[in-house]
Amino acid sequence: MFKLINAALVICVLISAFFLYSLEHATRGFERNIAKTEKQIIDEREKIKLLNAEWTSLTRPERIQHLAEEQLHLKNLQAQQFVPLAEIGAKVPQTPPIKLEAQNADPIGNMLEKLQ
Amino acid sequence: MTNGARQNEMANGNRRLKGQNRIRLLGIGFSLFFGAIAIQLGQLTLLHHQPAQIAELAGQEPRQPRPDIVDRNGVVMATDVAVFSLFIDPRKVIDVDEAIELLTANISDLDAKGLRERLKQPGRAFVWLKRQVGPDERDAIYNLGIPGVGFVEDRKRVYPLARLAAHTVGYVDVDTKGIAGIEKFLDDQGAIYTASLNEPTTHTTEPAQLSLDMRVQQAVTDEVAKAVTKFRAKSGGGIILDIETGEIIALASLPDFNPNAEDKHLTSDQQNKLTSGVYELGSVIKAVTFAMALDYGTANLSSHFSTGAPLQIGKFRIHDLHSHAEQSMEEVFTNSSNIGTAKMALQVGLDNHMEFLKRVGLLDRLVTEVPENAKPLLPHNWSRLSSATAAFGHGFAVQPLQGLSVIADLINGGMAVQPTFLKRNKEEAQALAHRIVKPETSATMRYLFRANVQKGTGEFADVIGYRVGGKTGTAEKVEHGRYVKDKVLASFIGAFPMDQPKYAILVMLDEPQAAPGTHGFSTAGWNAVPTSAAIIERVAPLLGVEPKFTDEDLAKLAKQNKKKEG
Repeated sequence: MFKLINAALVICVLISAFFLYSLEHATRGFERNIAKTEKQIIDEREKIKLLNAEWTSLTRPERIQHLAEEQLHLKNLQAQQFVPLAEIGAKVPQTPPIKLEAQNADPIGNMLEKLQ
Repeated sequence: MTNGARQNEMANGNRRLKGQNRIRLLGIGFSLFFGAIAIQLGQLTLLHHQPAQIAELAGQEPRQPRPDIVDRNGVVMATDVAVFSLFIDPRKVIDVDEAIELLTANISDLDAKGLRERLKQPGRAFVWLKRQVGPDERDAIYNLGIPGVGFVEDRKRVYPLARLAAHTVGYVDVDTKGIAGIEKFLDDQGAIYTASLNEPTTHTTEPAQLSLDMRVQQAVTDEVAKAVTKFRAKSGGGIILDIETGEIIALASLPDFNPNAEDKHLTSDQQNKLTSGVYELGSVIKAVTFAMALDYGTANLSSHFSTGAPLQIGKFRIHDLHSHAEQSMEEVFTNSSNIGTAKMALQVGLDNHMEFLKRVGLLDRLVTEVPENAKPLLPHNWSRLSSATAAFGHGFAVQPLQGLSVIADLINGGMAVQPTFLKRNKEEAQALAHRIVKPETSATMRYLFRANVQKGTGEFADVIGYRVGGKTGTAEKVEHGRYVKDKVLASFIGAFPMDQPKYAILVMLDEPQAAPGTHGFSTAGWNAVPTSAAIIERVAPLLGVEPKFTDEDLAKLAKQNKKKEG
């Protein structure tokens, strides 16, 4: 009787030890994964920061102003150029001033080609 | 069965019972012991988490990163980027010549001769190759596979917008500790604010959001820079202020500097003159005197002042640029009469004058988030004379931002709103505001400001459609205790749209010269005012100010167009 109980207990101990060990092993694996992912998140955040800084530097208003004046020949917006929504119908020209399809042209594409 | 045998049996039973007790005791002891071990084991392996270890594995620094600085629309003004400093351990280098050849081919501006000497030095264990390189360059050098090359990670503060708004943002020292502008605020007075941005659970930090708008900032900087060049001024400055919330939308002081430069060596010219400098603002301060007289009720729009003869106070005489025998209150404002304004202040009386200046905040140091702020320069003892000159902005000097803020308070309905560089909404501003003048006084001030642009010294500021109002000031500068005629500080303080003022503007030019088209004048009406007009024309659409035209405006526009065509 005692022998049987002892044997059962020993088997129990062995099973639970194996279970505990495998559980811990899996946990370690998960923890490593978490750490890896966290490191990736940090790296990605770092990249986002760098790209954001680069983007801001490339789109800084000073540079855009220069490009708009030099390349597009744009001028400052004047108050009288604003049209209230109610009057917009009267301001639309009957025929479009530039017929892109007729010319079969892509002015922005052309400009980019010229720049290159 | 004998008696003896029974006794024996009984004794045996007793013995067994005795042994059983001992075993039971042992059993309890053992089970307690192993139970404790099992509980401890379970706790250590299953329940006990070690976040510190995870952080270690991830190579994460436990300290919070420095917050980014962004403008009101989220444009990055200052941020941290990871940079790497590459070093080499000479003891581990096998072939020095090959290593140097590879390194010089991949690192620009590397001193090959110096490196060779240092690599061949016996006993040397550490040589810097290059400080602060980007991740791409680091990888390129690391992948060369030279033994002994390593890197340490470092953080570097960068300002992607470079010069734009550099005075407000400030900069940090080599240990990324803020030493000027908002950067200093984040470390010093604003430490609580900075702490509130932290999110300790994710080891991230929310950005510090400023009230500035970079598009408006660029328009102001650009136009002021053009004016400084055109009028050969020593320096210049421009501010746009939201008069309802007290938010500073743009603040440009020229000459400026690049916060990314390693060695800044800032000259006194490059400091932020709009907050760390004090100036006698001259006639723009007349607006304060007018508001005072209106608020005390000693004068109103139907009052008249005799301004024919100079005003004599003791040995001192107050003159006007253009003499008029008698002027109404409106004319005193639009002609910018010193005599009329001085008389107005004398009517109010010295004590009331001082009380009013104190109330609007011209006698105290204006403190905002930007730590560079200057104390006003005031007369040592106030007399009738200093009251009369203070009425038209002479004899006391304040920060230009302070002057603008006070005038903004006078036309926003009479509420004092503390100017701020941090984003704030209307409710927050209203909770902080307190009344300084009556709403009626403010309404009259709006009328006077608009009238001065329609028919007074501020005529060139009238951007048709945006209903601009304002006051000019041309203050002679003090040199060696005397006023110098040909060195002036020209300024314009205005607001738009005047029917429901939303934004106040200040433009200031230090020692502007006459330029082509100004007919030899260097007064504010010919330089600071047209500059303001150019700024308003550019920023009003950005700020969402809707243009409105009266019939008069339309007639004027038609005339302008005809002139252009003809």
